[in-house]
Amino acid sequence: MNILWETVTSSFASFIHAVRPEHLTKTVRYRSKRMILDSIGVGLMGSTTPVFDIALQYCRLYSSVAVSSVYGRPGMKLSPTLAAFTNGVATHSMDFDDTWHPATHPSGAVLPALLAASQMLPPSTKPNGLDFLLAFNVGLEVQGRDFHWLTWLFHAHTCTFPLRFHPPSVVGTMGSAAATAKLLSLSMTQCAHALGIAASLAGAPMANAATQAKPLHIGNATRLGFEAALLAARGMEANPVILDDIPGCSGFSAFYSVYQPKPLSTPSDHHEFLLEKQDIAFKRFPAHLGMHWVVDAALSVRNLFINYAGSFSPSLIRTIVLKIPVSKYINRPFPSSEHQARHSFQFNACTALLDGEVGLSSFTESSIHRQELRELLDKVVVEHPEDNVANFDKMYGEVALLLHSGDVLTGKCDTFYGHWRKPLSRESLLKKFRSNASHVLPEEKVETIITMVDNLENMSDSSQLACSL
Amino acid sequence: MLAKTVTGNFANVIHGLNANHLTDQVIQRSKRMILDTLGVGLLGTSTEVYHKVKQYSKIYSSDISSTIWGHLDFRLPPLYAAFVNGVAVHSMDFDDTWHPATHPSGAVLPAVIALSEAFPQKKKISGLDLLLAFNVGIEVQGRLLRFSNEARNIPKRFHPPTVVGTIGSAAACAKLLALDRVKCKNALAIAASYAGAPLANAATQTKPLHIGNAAKHGLEAACLASQDLQGNKQILDMESGMGAFYTDYSPQSLPTLQSYAWLLDQQDVAIKRFPAHLGTHWVADAASAVRRKLVESSDNLLPLDKIEKVIVKVPEVKYVNRPNPNSEHEARHSFQFVACSALLDGSMSVQSFASENIQRPALRELLCKTQLQHPADNKPSFESLYCEVTVVLQDGNTISDRCDTFYGHWRKPLKKEDLEKKFQSNASEVLPAEATEGIIETVYNLEKVKDCSILSKFLSGQSARALSEKLRLL
Repeated sequence: MNILWETVTSSFASFIHAVRPEHLTKTVRYRSKRMILDSIGVGLMGSTTPVFDIALQYCRLYSSVAVSSVYGRPGMKLSPTLAAFTNGVATHSMDFDDTWHPATHPSGAVLPALLAASQMLPPSTKPNGLDFLLAFNVGLEVQGRDFHWLTWLFHAHTCTFPLRFHPPSVVGTMGSAAATAKLLSLSMTQCAHALGIAASLAGAPMANAATQAKPLHIGNATRLGFEAALLAARGMEANPVILDDIPGCSGFSAFYSVYQPKPLSTPSDHHEFLLEKQDIAFKRFPAHLGMHWVVDAALSVRNLFINYAGSFSPSLIRTIVLKIPVSKYINRPFPSSEHQARHSFQFNACTALLDGEVGLSSFTESSIHRQELRELLDKVVVEHPEDNVANFDKMYGEVALLLHSGDVLTGKCDTFYGHWRKPLSRESLLKKFRSNASHVLPEEKVETIITMVDNLENMSDSSQLACSL
Repeated sequence: MLAKTVTGNFANVIHGLNANHLTDQVIQRSKRMILDTLGVGLLGTSTEVYHKVKQYSKIYSSDISSTIWGHLDFRLPPLYAAFVNGVAVHSMDFDDTWHPATHPSGAVLPAVIALSEAFPQKKKISGLDLLLAFNVGIEVQGRLLRFSNEARNIPKRFHPPTVVGTIGSAAACAKLLALDRVKCKNALAIAASYAGAPLANAATQTKPLHIGNAAKHGLEAACLASQDLQGNKQILDMESGMGAFYTDYSPQSLPTLQSYAWLLDQQDVAIKRFPAHLGTHWVADAASAVRRKLVESSDNLLPLDKIEKVIVKVPEVKYVNRPNPNSEHEARHSFQFVACSALLDGSMSVQSFASENIQRPALRELLCKTQLQHPADNKPSFESLYCEVTVVLQDGNTISDRCDTFYGHWRKPLKKEDLEKKFQSNASEVLPAEATEGIIETVYNLEKVKDCSILSKFLSGQSARALSEKLRLL
């Protein structure tokens, strides 16, 4: 029986409050555990970055109630929301974290808050692994729903990459509030207020993407959503219809140009999580998701070229044509920082051509500025075919090498390996995790985390996961 | 040094402004703002919303600490002190308002005061340092508001203090920290990623957090910048930067430092006489005048039962149009409530919003007879709006009055005595007389105070007599 909700906001609050572990299907459990593992690995890797260092030093000033673990710093603890902040920054520091459709980075906005919160709760009320997994999925679901209200508006020609606000800072904050509200077992009213308070903490402009400040977007999403839940738990009240359309006075609609919210169905007997229908993309190297298409296309044309010429000889190339969707913030002919390089079609294509792969070391200072690479970048022109939509479900990447000889070699990629249409195999996912985690943790710890996440729904005390980081 | 971008220009100005640039009028006006904001904040420590954030923030105590206004019993790290004190300032909607519309002081003062206490012992922050940083924070807000035509009117989408207030706080703290130009730029950029809260939380208990968070996040942005965190160097220039918060956005460079033209010189703030949305101040003055006329013509009694209708002509502002407010937050954002309250009592005060008064039958009855009208010539802008209140009696007679400029508006600023009276009335709820006198004294002479930590000591209610002897000026 479906109860008609008066408001969209109350339908969300009710969902968060009423959904149970039984509602998680096998697919959803499987997919979300993969996300958790990848997110932890990426976060551990991220704890080696300068931006993480700055965030950590800053947070240590306030470490009095230090109960929550910090990625890559065994023994160090911070207060819960600041631990969430720091770990969130780590997760997004290299743009290596998962991406969903519609576009956002869902896990980094939710997992750090849950890990920190699990360590905050007293021993008698520690959430078990299944509670944890459920809360994680609540956080994903709310993010996806906040975004799906726009899906029916997506036409082939509509640019759907964000233009104004960076999505994790908008929906991510709400997802974190929902997830922590769930973990903390807030009442339905408190869940609604958590969402309302979180809305006032959401929203960061796109312009800080491709800068060192971008990782803060995920850090703050997970931290401030958590804060919203903590405030709601203490009785703070906000607008009870924050997700609804309020003419003349914007609620959550403030962040959208077109806003058509829809209520969530009550999970009375069967709730279909979005993750069931729409899987996630995992990145194979630390750069914006769009780069993965051009890299796979570049690798394929590189192989053709090597067959043609015997080896990779840049001097034979006159022009490199990239066929990419229109998106200003990832179109950078000559990136000068690692953050810019991670957001540059041109850079990633040329790196793939030159090296035959793109990995962590592709984004170091010396790699970014090497002469051979700059020479290749000089040869690049970009084209924006009309059928190449700026949308992670529909876009493609094409790299054409126009040789001095007149010959043309082309490589095209519709679906890169790691995309939800071609998901990473278990081996590949574990390989990525081990490679990341072993940068900061010894082998036994790395394997322990893998085992814990694999068996998450059987853990009796989920804070053990956070303690193991 | 000519900057090629608006962002760079802002950083240059924030970095380059010094005490010599402050004009007499700017000093005078900003000190009034500081005094009013402190009083409003002290009073705000008695509110429920304040109590909740205080409890919440206590989980974050640490070694470095700043004063919590009105409290001797505990301190908090600067970030959370800024947050809590900021919430206090806006908790009752009693703080100052500017044109274009925002609440400038609450986003800045708590942050700079908290920060001033966080410096190592040897480094003393003078009153003049504080005053300059404060004004930098105000100025930046005013300039940002002028980048969009949308900002001239009462807001609909984002609550302005959360947009410009956060940047203002970052600028003020960057100034106090004496950050170099590059770091000033980064402080602005980082702050932008914290800015922006939707208007829908106005008239709820969450609204005060908007000012608290603006102060706190601006401070955080400046601190992260001082540790060399970098953001987009063109954050103020880009549509996908600060432009994200507006539908029309045209950033402009600031005037030359040669003889800096402060906005506060050209445009003063409005100081509220009672704790409610600024738009209701016109309503209160008009309604009070109508009541006087009514009473005069009826043997000095208010003929309540003879009132048929109350018509209130105001601009169209959806979030202040509440025919039936139930909470104090809603009542503070209700044209109708203030009209009826002022008609009943003759004037508005802090007490008007106590729950007994919100719920009293005479008021509810009058509310049922009240309607709003939105004349086409009544624009939703604090510069030009007016209010006309008309009471229609059963015998057909009507009594009207119109208010174009309420007392406290920048066109009719509060006199010194009345500003002080408001401060005393507020501050004495939580501080002893010596402390309130000490604050007035200190703020009035702020530019001469050698060590502004004295202000914080008074704010915490410390043994004021001993301190006033220590208060050395010049």
